[in-house]
Amino acid sequence: MTLTKDHIGGLVFLLLSVAYGYYGQQIPLLPGDEWEPFHARTLPDALAALGVVLSLVMLVTAERKPEGKLVLAGYDFGLVAKLLGAVLVFALALEWLGFLLATIVFLVSGFWLLGERRIKTLFLGSVPFAFFIWFSLSQLLDIYLAPGKLFASVMGG
Amino acid sequence: MLDGIFTGLTTAVMPFNLMMVVVGCFAGTFIGMLPGLGPISAVALMIPITYGLDPSSGIILMAGVYYGAVFGGSTSSILINAPGCASTVVTTFDGYPLAQQRQAGKALALAAYSSFTGGTIGAIILLFAAPALASVSLSFQSADYFALMVLGLTAVAAFAGKGQVIKALLMTVFGLMIATVGTDVMSGAPRFTFGTVDLIDGVSFLLLAMATFALAEVVMTVLKGEHRHEDQQADMSELGSMKLSKEEVKDVAPVIGRSSVFGFLVGVLPGAGATIASFLAYGMERNLASAKEKLKFGKGSLRGLAAPESANNAASTGSFVPLLTLGIPGSGTTAIMLGALIAYGIQPGPRLFVDNPDVFWSVIISMYFGNLVLLILNLPLIPYISRLLVIPSQILIPMILFFSVTGVYLVSFNTFDITMMVLITVVAIFLKLLQFPMAPMLLGYILGGLLENNLSRALMLSDGSFSFLWERPLTLTIMVIAVLMLVVPQLLELRKSLKEKSAGKGTPGMESAATEGEG
Repeated sequence: MTLTKDHIGGLVFLLLSVAYGYYGQQIPLLPGDEWEPFHARTLPDALAALGVVLSLVMLVTAERKPEGKLVLAGYDFGLVAKLLGAVLVFALALEWLGFLLATIVFLVSGFWLLGERRIKTLFLGSVPFAFFIWFSLSQLLDIYLAPGKLFASVMGG
Repeated sequence: MLDGIFTGLTTAVMPFNLMMVVVGCFAGTFIGMLPGLGPISAVALMIPITYGLDPSSGIILMAGVYYGAVFGGSTSSILINAPGCASTVVTTFDGYPLAQQRQAGKALALAAYSSFTGGTIGAIILLFAAPALASVSLSFQSADYFALMVLGLTAVAAFAGKGQVIKALLMTVFGLMIATVGTDVMSGAPRFTFGTVDLIDGVSFLLLAMATFALAEVVMTVLKGEHRHEDQQADMSELGSMKLSKEEVKDVAPVIGRSSVFGFLVGVLPGAGATIASFLAYGMERNLASAKEKLKFGKGSLRGLAAPESANNAASTGSFVPLLTLGIPGSGTTAIMLGALIAYGIQPGPRLFVDNPDVFWSVIISMYFGNLVLLILNLPLIPYISRLLVIPSQILIPMILFFSVTGVYLVSFNTFDITMMVLITVVAIFLKLLQFPMAPMLLGYILGGLLENNLSRALMLSDGSFSFLWERPLTLTIMVIAVLMLVVPQLLELRKSLKEKSAGKGTPGMESAATEGEG
């Protein structure tokens, strides 16, 4: 039996619609709402039903051709995971190190992950750029960028 | 109407707004040139910037970025055979062979002239079509709006291409589901918030657009390893002359005229957009050409380059008609603009024409300026702008990631949003690998709130009965069109496959190429 992309997609959306419908039942209603023609659960219920019907149609009509199979070879998942990880670290660093340092750290790690190894490029590509963005945001556009919590706690806020 | 044109003109010629057109066209050309990033990503990247501007300037900037990106996409199609977006795929058919014959300069110039003519003819038709349609649609009621939104959502699915219709419909439903997350506007009940404060306001439009178009597109190029292709760099010293001879102009002029009008009409259809327009215009010109000329198509025919270029620009302009008059976006890009307008507190639709004439008219007027800027400023600068393509991707990709992430962060100052973006990107990549189109999801999300409001109003007025769907002739007509749009192509497809089965052979179709990423 061949499990094609369309089957996987159909199954995923079937599960999603069922879960959506289940959680839709937990939306609190106002007293007397059940007699109203339209309330907070009406659209979610309809969408859940529509989702289930469409994903079933997709599962039934999907063709079982071998070329429709999901092929994951040839994709660089490791690199993508590392890059997205760097984005998450950037989010943390924004809070703890502040905008300027977080940007430099993120850019340098991004360049490094994508294969740049020359120290000069790593820093010339990131430090002036980060300073420029930081300067335009905080000085020219007057946007308040909170200093990192780390410095705030060390320097006493 | 003259009143309105005058209002629009005064708004559009304000120095700041003129600057927005110029900046938008430049930024758009640059982003559109980068392989993998098309108009949708370019406009999405602009949203955070427009939040600080007033509505007219914001929309003018976005519109400038839009045509700039379409133009930039054709530049990279011609020079390095790497279309920035689906709507310039056809440009590579004849544009790249021309560049290989050392006629890149001529090809670029012709692309620019065709785009200019397409855009200008589109803008002139828009000037007359939009107000006419807007005044008719003033009589619309909530039932009609509901029907119109259903039409918009089904149309996107109907034009999704062969074998993609159910996927597009599922993605639309998914978008509508995402729209229900957050506090219910009518009862104030929290929906799908799972007890977290961060979800009470729902998923932000900016976050969703940036994650699914800017972030996911870039990550996809990394995933496929496309960033390692170093051979894509074009040799700028060999652009060749940019001049066209008189005979050549005579040869392509009628092609440009036909394709422009045709492209505009296709662009007006909700959901069709620039991609389909360019494919259809190319096909039409090939059929109209003489047997001798037909052989040249695909090997560097000037007609084959002019047709899709004028059509995709005219269609980009055409897709503003449903956006400005009905509040229904004709493509993924206009869907993002619709979201931005709603964020400004402006309700696009028939009332826009009456309530915010400055926005309505200045967008139309600025289209002329946009086209002029592209022709006068961008064309001579192409050799220099395209040098930016030489920035190595290991530097460029982290910067685009940085811009998309900080674009979202600088609006909310909440790092939860970044985590959420990464999560949505992962989901988007998974769905992309399964070949689900993203644009219908965004459209469903943007129209979700309006759809629910209008449905609830219509249902309340008709006392819970669904009779409002057929009581007014207008509502009924729109619903019938929506159903036909969805059902007829399927039936035709079914008939074709049955015929093929009985004949025992299959013919490849061209429509499957126009699946996603419409301009």
